[in-house]
Amino acid sequence: MPESRQKHHKKALDSLAGLGKGIIEDIKKAQPPKLKIPSRSTNNIIYDKKNRYYVLGPKYGLRSAASMKQVKKVAQLLCTAEFAKDLVETGKFATLREMYYTAEGWEAGPFHDQGESDAIIEDLEATFGLKRESLGLTPEEDGAAVFGQLTMKEGDTNIDALKSGRGGYTIPPTIDDVEFLKCKAKRVIAVETMGMYHRLIQEEAWKKFDALIVGLKGQAARATRRFLKRANEELGLPVYLNCDGDPFGYHIGMVIISGSANLAYINHELAVPDAKYIGVTASDIVNYKLPTDKLRELDVARLKQLAKDPRYNTEFWQFEIKKMLEIGRKAEQQAFAKYGLAYVVNEYLPAKLKEVEGQTHLGKK
Amino acid sequence: MKTMADELFGEFREHSVSEFFRRNAAMLGYTGKIRSLTTIVHEGVTNSIDACEASGIMPKISVTIKRVNDEPEHFKIVMEDNATGIPEQYIPDVFGKMLAGTKLHQAMQQRGQQGIGISGCVMFGQITSGKPTTVVTSTGSGEAVRAEVMIDLDKNQGKIFNKEKFKEKWRGTRVEVEAKEVAYQRSRYGPFNYLRMTAIANPHVHLTFAEPDGTLTVFENATEKIPDRPKPMPLHPWGIMSDDLLILAKRTKARSVSGLLSTELSRVSKAKADEVCRLANVPATKRPAELSWEDAEKIVTAFKQVKLLAPPTSGLRPIGAADLENGMKQVLNPEFVKTITRPPKVYRGGLPFIVEVGIAYGGNAGKAPEGKSNGDEIEEAGMDLIRFANRAPLVFDQGGCAITDAARKIDWRRYGVDVSAAPLTLFVNISSAYVPYTSAGKQSIADEPEIINETRTAIMEAARELRLFLYRRIRAKERAERAGVFEQFLPIIARKAASLAGVSEPDVKSLLKKVSGGIEHA
Repeated sequence: MPESRQKHHKKALDSLAGLGKGIIEDIKKAQPPKLKIPSRSTNNIIYDKKNRYYVLGPKYGLRSAASMKQVKKVAQLLCTAEFAKDLVETGKFATLREMYYTAEGWEAGPFHDQGESDAIIEDLEATFGLKRESLGLTPEEDGAAVFGQLTMKEGDTNIDALKSGRGGYTIPPTIDDVEFLKCKAKRVIAVETMGMYHRLIQEEAWKKFDALIVGLKGQAARATRRFLKRANEELGLPVYLNCDGDPFGYHIGMVIISGSANLAYINHELAVPDAKYIGVTASDIVNYKLPTDKLRELDVARLKQLAKDPRYNTEFWQFEIKKMLEIGRKAEQQAFAKYGLAYVVNEYLPAKLKEVEGQTHLGKK
Repeated sequence: MKTMADELFGEFREHSVSEFFRRNAAMLGYTGKIRSLTTIVHEGVTNSIDACEASGIMPKISVTIKRVNDEPEHFKIVMEDNATGIPEQYIPDVFGKMLAGTKLHQAMQQRGQQGIGISGCVMFGQITSGKPTTVVTSTGSGEAVRAEVMIDLDKNQGKIFNKEKFKEKWRGTRVEVEAKEVAYQRSRYGPFNYLRMTAIANPHVHLTFAEPDGTLTVFENATEKIPDRPKPMPLHPWGIMSDDLLILAKRTKARSVSGLLSTELSRVSKAKADEVCRLANVPATKRPAELSWEDAEKIVTAFKQVKLLAPPTSGLRPIGAADLENGMKQVLNPEFVKTITRPPKVYRGGLPFIVEVGIAYGGNAGKAPEGKSNGDEIEEAGMDLIRFANRAPLVFDQGGCAITDAARKIDWRRYGVDVSAAPLTLFVNISSAYVPYTSAGKQSIADEPEIINETRTAIMEAARELRLFLYRRIRAKERAERAGVFEQFLPIIARKAASLAGVSEPDVKSLLKKVSGGIEHA
């Protein structure tokens, strides 16, 4: 079992046992058990400037077993916790949907819809400060793919991200169960589109830059983000994000860096605050004379929104947002193909890396 | 030689009261096919109960309605009681003469008042079917009389046909009326509802009813107590009208108007009688027989100008809260009953009346009897208002009645009642020797402010109890639900918590007791 998994495994079991113990004590004292659950409402999501990601504020809600309206919810939360405990102990995983169906047979009754059971899982995640994957529960979707000089072990299986076919290794939702064995790469380059991902593999960018190439498939899945976080923390690799030159590309990068608001309760497990954005910027569009599209109304609105977002409150972002609004144009990563397919690997990325590597102490050329 | 006048006056004849009512059957309640049938039942049953009470007999009454020849609007109505029976010689007058009877001149609080009821039935049967009414009666002498009665409408006299006598140990009276142009329905206006209401207001009466389709319903008596006999009471001047005075004048033994007033009326001394005569400008010494309509009118007006003691309330005979409660329980089988008999009050400055109110909730309360309305009024679910005057059901003319008015003036939501949905029967009975009916049909009470206010007060008093009951019921339901919820989920919480902590399951009993005991937590 990988170290990170072990750590989470223990923390999960301890948290679940602690939850049980607290309730038992209350019951023995004939005190109605009350659960303090951190509030996930928008007025309790705050940007942590020091850590550079969203976290939950100090507000919490009370679930009391003495309340007629809440006692069922408390019972359901405990059923969910017991279900999670079994999963963690047996090393199995279940999807959120599977859990929703499993609840059909629970004593505390089925859920009305999956939204209800998902909310209870979020309650547990927020209460324990553990992500659902640590509780044996996974989202439906896989993460994206990684290609490069990294060997891993998942159970009895050895994995080589260089020898998993042309598409690379698909990051599973259970990425925390995967142990990193050996990594020759010195950095991670994550790209927004799978088109660019395959371009970099074909151009052997992994070799040229000593990099793990990660395809994000648009907005990064939790598994992908968790992989990036681990690569950054456990392997000490700097993470570079290459996205489209539009507000949505900016934000795909930013969610990886600073986490999303609706996952504020778990961002400490997912956010990679040191990741650097090396995607297409408004300056790039001008400097490289890239083929562009006109900004749509939606893009303009989104850019204005981003300008006010605390995560973008840096000189770099404020400049690039303003500039994109000024030029009124946007460009995709793949626009560099204007100068030939290999241009992005031969010219653009080396320039970009040179730009950022000077600013970070992590990784060396 | 005949003069012109002779010729002209040859056509002159006295129009009898029966002739008058034959032309104005609606005034007696014979209007509409359903109502006519209910009126026949009403007249028969009312007479029977009055007769039993007058002689201290527990009334046992049966009513049967049968179709005749399978014709849709042709019925035979058979009504039988166990009262004293009618002496043979009175049969023609009782059944064949209008305004004859034992009630009008006595000012007793009885159901019937005017002495036209049962002869009205005979008349209605006669003019719609052409058939006489068959009467079988026995005074318990071991001999019964059967006779067919018709009314000579010109002469206001009963005519008897096919009279026969036979040996019979039974006592009572059986009346068989055959009528056409009537319809049977189990609606609010039909005989079934009428009898059901009668049973509620007269818990001492045992009622059996056979419907045309053969359905037999028995309304058992809910008490063995026979109401006190009504005491004859002289009329009080505040309640009389000119024709009352004229009727009294015809019957009195007094030799002067002054004597008539002081002997035949309540609370009138010789001095008051003389004072009234002076005020009315009617000679106190005038012979009663010579009293004219104008004189009578002047006297009635003059009475309003003198001070009089209010009529005594001793003659009022309410049902009594306890008996009413029995009646409502027996017929409606409700979850909650509250009955109230208010102390006597007066209206028009002195006419005594008593209001009784009953509220029944749940069980069969509130639901109108099966069947559709006759189309005059939409049958509603929810609260059912049943009105009575001297225990006699008021079925028709609900809209213009003081009782309806009083019930409508109440904000039922304040008592937790949704009038449109609650299974609630509201019973109101006005007892008085002087019930101010709005018309001769005696189906609604005039809007005397004192009666409306008193009725409203009584309803609110009963409704307060209902509110308490409903509140307690909601609380009890909530408590039970609450306890149920905790009983279901607390053991699960304990079991799962124990499983998580890896310890044995704790006992939840004391916690359960604490949280479901009604103490609110968070």
